[in-house]
Amino acid sequence: MTGPVALKAAYIVTWVILLGYLGSLFRRFRRVREEMKDLKRGG
Amino acid sequence: MKQLFIAFVVLTLGLLAFSTYQALFVAPTEQTMGDVQRIFYYHVPSAWTAGVCFFVNFLASVVYLWKRNLASDALAAASAEVGVTFCTIVLITGPIWARPVWGIWWTWDARLTTTLVLWLIYVSYLVLRRFSAGGQTQVLAAALAIFGFVDVPIVYMSIRWFRTQHPSPVMGGGENSGLDPAMLHAFFWNLAAFTCVGVVLMVVRYRLQMLEEKVEATHAAAALQGDSR
Repeated sequence: MTGPVALKAAYIVTWVILLGYLGSLFRRFRRVREEMKDLKRGG
Repeated sequence: MKQLFIAFVVLTLGLLAFSTYQALFVAPTEQTMGDVQRIFYYHVPSAWTAGVCFFVNFLASVVYLWKRNLASDALAAASAEVGVTFCTIVLITGPIWARPVWGIWWTWDARLTTTLVLWLIYVSYLVLRRFSAGGQTQVLAAALAIFGFVDVPIVYMSIRWFRTQHPSPVMGGGENSGLDPAMLHAFFWNLAAFTCVGVVLMVVRYRLQMLEEKVEATHAAAALQGDSR
């Protein structure tokens, strides 16, 4: 692995992890909100 | 409060754009390593942010054991998860840097090993929170967090106590340590940007945790109502 390739790989990995984590948080938010709505609807 | 948070997110995005520009285009190229040294501007701030998150987790765990309030437990859960995310970045970007510079991906040197142990401690913490049943989960998690935090200063001091493969401290490492002022400038911008990203993620994760607790409490109340009928 050469220097420039390593640099690009490290930056891509960093952003994939951070954005992936943020995405997972939003998915979990949506699921919890839907669950909340179902609970309210159920009584 | 919501508007303040949105303003903080906008500030964080601006900081990120500026710090990335500083790291990739403004900071001078290091003479011996070349461009691969620029990984430093992501790697070290990620390690710093992970340390900050684990410190928040430690404080929140102490407060939880003392006051037993839901908010400090939620903050502990949020900070541990965000800390593990940043620690994962450290453990991946480090070997990517090491391969062209050292010729190897990994070695069992003091800094690398203690960082891996740190990651494993907080992954265990998250696994405990996720799969432990019963009413003592939060107490057990808080106790684990307090003992687990002992590894954070060990990670920080490892390159001062043991001179092995990992580079010696760039800052605060004695007479021969230090950075070129232009590099230092880029480094501090990235440090600030990554800290802000960590804060944003912790706030979002904290709100999610509180919402999950609320749903769980509603489920429990509904189940109790069903039983009493």
